[in-house]
Amino acid sequence: MAELSLQHIDKIYDNNVQAVFDFNLEVKDGELIVLVGPSGCGKSTTLRMVAGLEDISAGHLLLDGRDITQTPAKDRDMAMVFQSYALYGHMTIYENMAFSLTLRKEDPNVIHKKVIAAAEILGLTEQLNKKPNQLSGGQRQRVAMGRSIVRNPKVFLFDEPLSNLDAKLRGATRREILLLHKRLQATMMYVTHDQTEALTLADRIVCMSMGHVQQTGTPLELYDKPANIFVASFIGLPPMNFFDVKVAGDVLMGEGFSVPLSEAERAVLLPYQGKEITLGVRPEDMTEGGDVPVDVTTNENLGMNTLVHGYIGGNRKLRITAKLKGWCNFKNGDTATLSFNRRHFFDKETTNAIR
Amino acid sequence: MNSTKAMTAEDMEIRTDRMRFIKNHLSANLALLAILFDVFYFVTVYRQDVGSYYYNIIIGASIIYNLLFMLTVFLCSEGVKNYKKNYSILLFAVGILQFVRICILPMKAHFATTLIQNEEVRVMSDGQFMTLVVFLVASGICCILAAAVNWSRCRQLEEHMNKLAAKTA
Repeated sequence: MAELSLQHIDKIYDNNVQAVFDFNLEVKDGELIVLVGPSGCGKSTTLRMVAGLEDISAGHLLLDGRDITQTPAKDRDMAMVFQSYALYGHMTIYENMAFSLTLRKEDPNVIHKKVIAAAEILGLTEQLNKKPNQLSGGQRQRVAMGRSIVRNPKVFLFDEPLSNLDAKLRGATRREILLLHKRLQATMMYVTHDQTEALTLADRIVCMSMGHVQQTGTPLELYDKPANIFVASFIGLPPMNFFDVKVAGDVLMGEGFSVPLSEAERAVLLPYQGKEITLGVRPEDMTEGGDVPVDVTTNENLGMNTLVHGYIGGNRKLRITAKLKGWCNFKNGDTATLSFNRRHFFDKETTNAIR
Repeated sequence: MNSTKAMTAEDMEIRTDRMRFIKNHLSANLALLAILFDVFYFVTVYRQDVGSYYYNIIIGASIIYNLLFMLTVFLCSEGVKNYKKNYSILLFAVGILQFVRICILPMKAHFATTLIQNEEVRVMSDGQFMTLVVFLVASGICCILAAAVNWSRCRQLEEHMNKLAAKTA
């Protein structure tokens, strides 16, 4: 049982730079929360505040209802896995994993049982006598996780643990973390700037920008119902296309194109009649054959899909990327007609989603 | 009572299993301690210069043997650290030789006399002789203990590994 509550947390550094603004989050027992956002958005700072490695300037941090805002890191019963693994090079994997328990002067037999159990979970049994420099990056990161597991902490904290790995290894290790979470059913907080990691791992995602929480929700909520333009552009690959359009009766009028509105969309946009809004369309929500003419610049075949890049009506301001199903053979200069099947609307001034 | 016995057996099993991953530090450190006592020995044995007694072949051989001893035991300490059974034999032999050495240089020097200003003087005093014996005995005991501990642990580990192999087969 480990429930974490972050209440109105701020982080202000000594030079008066504020890194985190009014951060609120309730983490349920056994939940995997992913903090995602671009570099410098305050996600790692938030995690370090939870770990006790950074002071909390304002607000309260509660673990199972107990206020641990001022509790030192060593007494918080949390384990952190760093991007750089932080393994001791002169120790074997076994000794690395046992180290924290040895420091606590636990019974060697108990330590042994815990290390062996953790090694079995992580598939490291054969590597226990090796030194860290004999292991691959993925294996080293598993050792770092193993070192956390043996402590049996209430909360696991991961600070961009896969950033040092190559793409293939990152995918494999990501799946291992997911399996680990399912197996341990532990409360976890995970920081990443990679939206793929966030979408695949998280029970819930907290999307951050400039120290502010932009949206908290399940991966599907963030993908399907982004709260604002930032979230819409950050989640999804390739990112969402945005166009300035005017709501004109039952159509959206853009520069060189128009999009008919459905009954439901008209109802949603009723307060915006005659006004300019931002239209968002995900590349995968487009299909060939429609009302929007696109001058193709590049055609990237990915096997199952094709990424088609171009400009609407040849207008250099209206750059568009479409992810079309199947194999396409557009050439530079060809004109493709596309239809926008699913549309997102955003207020131009507030950048918030219109729903 | 039964559960206590079962616990002890389990504890013993885990203790043995730990040897797969934990080095034999006890044997290795005992071997290093043997080197330390040997260093004390040769620092003490060449302490006095009474006449020309020490300038002979035994002293030369003693210096070379000390160097060889240190190298061998250091090698053995690394071997036993990794549960290499054969190093126990070497360590045991070297340990016995430390006892044998008592009868060579210290004893010979202890009973030898030399003329200084027409007076017969003992080359080595009783105190120095006893100190040297203590250092050599301590060094020898450390070697033998290191060898015995390593031998016993190696056997335990071998049996345990055989059991594990039988389980997985």
